[in-house]
Order: sequence, then structure tokens, then C-alpha cells
Amino acid sequence: MMASGENTLPIIEIQQLKKRFGTITALDGIDLHIYPGEIFGLIGPDGAGKTTLIRILCTLLLPDAGRVQLLQHDVVHDVQSIRRFLGYMPQRFSLYPDLTVEQNLNFFADLFQVPPSIRQQRIQQLYHFSRLEPFKNRPTRALSGGMKQKLALSCAMIHTPKILILDEPTTGVDPLSRQEFWHILHQIREGGTTVLVSTPYMEEADQCDRVGLMYRGKLIVVDTPQRVRQRFPYPLYRVWGQDTYALREFFQNLETVHSVHLFGDALHVAFTQPPVPSDWKHWQLTSHQQIIRWQPIEASVEDVFLEMMEAHS
Amino acid sequence: MRPVLAMIKKEFLQVKRTREMLALLFMFPLIQMLVLGYAITTEVKHVRLIIVDLDNSRISRELVRAFQHTDRFDVQARDILLTHIGEYLQGWKAQMALVIPRDFGRLLRRGLQPDVQLIVDGVDGNTAGVALGYARGILQQTATQLSPAGHPVSYRPTAPRLHLQERMWYNLNLDSAQFMIPGIVVVLLTIIPMMLTAMSLVREREIGTLEQLLVTPMGKLQLLAGKLIPFLILSFAELVLVMKVAQWIFRVQMHGSYPLLGAIAFIYLFTTLGLGIFISTFTQTQQQAMFVAWFFMVFMILMSGFFIPIPNMPELLQTLTYLNPMRYMMFVIRDIFQKGSSWVYLLPDIGALTGFGLLIFLASILKFSKRIG
Repeated sequence: MMASGENTLPIIEIQQLKKRFGTITALDGIDLHIYPGEIFGLIGPDGAGKTTLIRILCTLLLPDAGRVQLLQHDVVHDVQSIRRFLGYMPQRFSLYPDLTVEQNLNFFADLFQVPPSIRQQRIQQLYHFSRLEPFKNRPTRALSGGMKQKLALSCAMIHTPKILILDEPTTGVDPLSRQEFWHILHQIREGGTTVLVSTPYMEEADQCDRVGLMYRGKLIVVDTPQRVRQRFPYPLYRVWGQDTYALREFFQNLETVHSVHLFGDALHVAFTQPPVPSDWKHWQLTSHQQIIRWQPIEASVEDVFLEMMEAHS
Repeated sequence: MRPVLAMIKKEFLQVKRTREMLALLFMFPLIQMLVLGYAITTEVKHVRLIIVDLDNSRISRELVRAFQHTDRFDVQARDILLTHIGEYLQGWKAQMALVIPRDFGRLLRRGLQPDVQLIVDGVDGNTAGVALGYARGILQQTATQLSPAGHPVSYRPTAPRLHLQERMWYNLNLDSAQFMIPGIVVVLLTIIPMMLTAMSLVREREIGTLEQLLVTPMGKLQLLAGKLIPFLILSFAELVLVMKVAQWIFRVQMHGSYPLLGAIAFIYLFTTLGLGIFISTFTQTQQQAMFVAWFFMVFMILMSGFFIPIPNMPELLQTLTYLNPMRYMMFVIRDIFQKGSSWVYLLPDIGALTGFGLLIFLASILKFSKRIG
């Protein structure tokens, strides 16, 4: 499904994009190509510039410098034509709480000028994957968070856009709804829509075909999640201990340790040289039996990103 | 056109769904009119009066009777001690005291000019002035009737012999509702469109739908048209409702032409809808919008001549009222209602209204486009 960059024209083309707000540089020279039919994940901490980039792509903000094209349409000059093939779901997804599910859908269908002949069919399709049909006469304010989010997505998809852009759609949504949401995004991709999605959750990187890590207004890595993971150059161990915080301090003070990060209830410890079993024996003693268990692991996207962010700061 | 229709349909759906909106639209104006229509009156009635009749002659008793036989005055006490007058006025038991001196009747019978004294509580200057006017009228009339051979009595011995014939035009009974209710119509045509527009635009921003609307192929002007047309229609519905109630309950007479009234209301709505858009460009929440709209409204009403006649204002404020579009509207609507004036006489004011309307409306649209662009 995923297109390789070499023989397909990009559907989104960003060159040397810059944007400043007063003295703050929000985007500091972004270059990015996104190809038809992929799910591209824009990952980065808060304040990295994800929303600014997305708002420029959606023609809501003008760039200071650089060129941005969607399907060969320029975001500065071809605003109207871009809006016809673009679906956008803002960070604070927004619906009319006093209108029903169906009224919201019909309203956006009107605004996007979905022809009446195919409208019913389109709404049925959207009900099919959102499973909102039983609630179609319910006012939106009475829906659960997950359902509201699916309705917002349906409204953004009502005109069958070629490109769908979502700004942190899974922030503040329960884990089960998040999973279901990603499942729907995959279905949308199967339908031929290119998806650009931003998220602060690094573990969602693996749901994407390609990811880009944004940090301080720059894209520091762009690659498939697989290849991103392979970039991690150090032997990595997952370590469980009695007191994770004390253990972190212990490893931080070792000569052969490159970095230590907290991952849930355990630590990810990267070494400059692979430890041997005798090393672990020794550390158990010197840490006063703090270490319960250790296990060599493959780096996750998050490990790579943390590594790269540290290298950049 | 289709996006505009979609917006209009949505606005009406939302108005129907939002109970506060319906209340604001229909209960608020009616209650306001009922309260203001009855409460705001420039008439002065039942002034509390005390009379000290030191003469106690046939003629002085005749004079006292004249004050008793009108509903303008309520005689609270008679024949009290002169020294108690201060106590009555101080204790709010009387607003006016009439003192008829000894020999009043005798002097009058001889065709001389006897003195009477009126003491008025001047705290409420307006009421005091009006009450004094009534009292003068009664004194003058009674004295003329009672003096021998119809000698006219005046306050100044050298006064010329004039017979005053008073005719009130347009509002024959000096019924204050005829004057105030058309003013309330103007107030409603100001508040309702301004508040509804500001609140509904800010609401879209508050709940975040504005951003969603802006990425649709719908243009900003279409968005505004879709917002404003429903409120234009609702404002006219409001106008009809309020006028019907005014005519039914307050017997307000409409002497002018309805098409002219409609046309001028339409022109004026550009001002008030425009102000609503303007308010929405610098407020973030509905609460802020409400507050700012309230602030605008108070100044516009105070400076419009609705309660306070403009000629009574200090000169500087009088000049400032020319910057208030509501001032022109107040004048024009009262003229149409009471005098039935044709547009020819109202041309300067209609011109001003049109100018303000276009200026405010276009500037607001520009500011709105800039703000969200």
C-alpha cells in the first residue's frame, strides 16, 4: 500500500517552510514530501510546531517563507480549490452540540456541496465505520467523547477528501477509543485517502506508514517506523527494579551507560558497549539488590526520538 | 448560494434548540415593553399636597376645592401650623405646600393682586417643575373665575391681558406611551440584532466550529451572510410582534407608513448587525460579548434621547449624540409613529442612518475577515 518516494509524485510537497510568531520561530525550514495513500504521522512534544505546520497546510495560516503545495495547488494562492479536496479535523474537534448527529453530517455535506444524489450513500458509508447510526437523532452534546470524535471525523470525511489532516485526534481519548480510531484511519487509507495525523503519543508511531519527528520547529527524522527503530545504535536493555527512580540514578552514574529513560514501570538503559552477564552480577551487588530483572530489547520509535531530541538540544 | 442556505437552516435549527435564545428573542422584548411602557412616564400625578388656609373665606375655600378636585394633587393635610410645613416636606409626607394668607379673599374681591405661597420639594427637579406648572394653572384659572367682573389675575400687575389657547398636536392627550413605546421599538431593534450576532459568532469561536467552517469551500462573506440573514429575519419578526403588542395593549397609534418604517428598520439593522460583528472580533467568549454589547447599549440608549431629552444635555454631550446612530433612529421612528411624517422630512436623518450603517457594517466585515484570515 505504501508508496515509495522515488516513482510517485508527492501529494503534499513542503519546501523550506518557515513561520515566526513575533520572536518565536515556530517552523524553522521544513522540507517534507508526503505520498498518495500513506498515513504519515507527525510526532513531537507540545510546542514542537505540529499545529502550526498543520494550520498552514489547511490554508488557515500563511507561511512566512517557503513553498507548500497540496496536489500541485499552492496553499497561498489556491485556497478555494484546496478546500474542496481537503478534510481537516482540528485539535479541539468541534461540532454543534445542540444539533443531532445527522443534522451535523447534513450541515457539513451542504457546506462541502456533496450532491444530494450521493449524499445518503456517503452518510451510510460513514455510519458503517463510525457505528453512529443508532444515535443519529441524538443531540451531539449527549454523545460520549469517543463518539463525538468519530462524528467529527465523519464530518471531516463527508466530501470524500483526497487528503485528510488530523491534529492530535487521539489526545484525551480513552485507550479503547484510540485503538478503534486508528482502525478507522486504516480503513480510510484503504479507501484511497492520504492521511496526515499529528500525535504527542510516540507509541502511535507504529500505526503510521511513515513518521516524522518534529522538535523545535524542525523535522529531525523522517522515515518508516521500522527504519526509524533501526537507527538506534546502542545495545538497549529493559530493566525492572524495586525503586525505579533510585535505579535510574544508579545507571546514570555508570561509565558504560549512554542514556537511561523511564518507560512505564521499567527503565530503558542504553549502553556504549554491550554488557556481559558478569556486569549484571556486579551491578546487582553495587545497587544493593535493586535490580529485579533485565532483558535486551529492540529500540522502539520512542527510544530513537528521545535519543535524537537529546542530540538536538 | 447553497452554503449560505445551509448556514441559514442551521442557525434556525440552533435558535429553535436553544431555550435561552428563544427567551432572549421573545420573552425579553415583551417583558421589557410591558415594564417600560407602564413605568416610564413623564406624567406627574397624585402630588402630595398640604394646604394652610389662613384666610378661611368663601373664596379661599373655593381655591382649596379646586386643588381637591384634580387627580394631579392629593391633599394630605389641611390647616396645619405654618411651622409644621418643614416637617411634612422633610418626612416625605408632602411634596408641595400651598399657603393662602389672611385677607386673600377680601383683596381678590376688590380686584387687587393677593399673594399666595407655594413651597415645593425640589429634590426631584422634573416632578417639582411639572407640579408647579399644574399648580399655577389651577391658581390662575380659579382666581380668574373668582375675581369680580372677570378681572384677569396674573402674577405681575402689569401683565398684558392675554388669553392663552392651548392645542396639543400629534399626541393630543400628552399620553407618554405614545412617545415611549416607539422608543422601545428602537431599543429592541438595537439590542436583539447586536446581541444575537455577537453571541452567535463568538459561540462558533468558543466551541471551535469557526475553524471547521473556515476550511470548507464556503467564503467568509458567505459565512457572514448565512449568519446575518437569519437574525435579520428574526429582527423583523420581533418588530412585528412588538408593534402588535404596542397597538393592542398600549393603544399606540401608528400614523406613518409601514413600508417606510420597514425600510428604515432595514437600514438601521446594518448598524446594529454590524456592531454585533464588530463586538465578535475582539471578544473570546459569549460572556465577554454580552458584557461589551451591554456597555455599547447603555451608552447608545442614554445618548439617544430615549429617556433624557437631548436639548437638556450639556453642549458637549449634545454634539456627541450626533455620533450615535440610535439618536437618528429614535427621532425618525417617533416621527413616523406620532406625526406620520413622510420620508421627505426625514431625509437628513435617513441619510445619516444610511451613512452610519454602511460605515459600521463594512468596517466590521473588514475587521472580521482580517481577524479570521
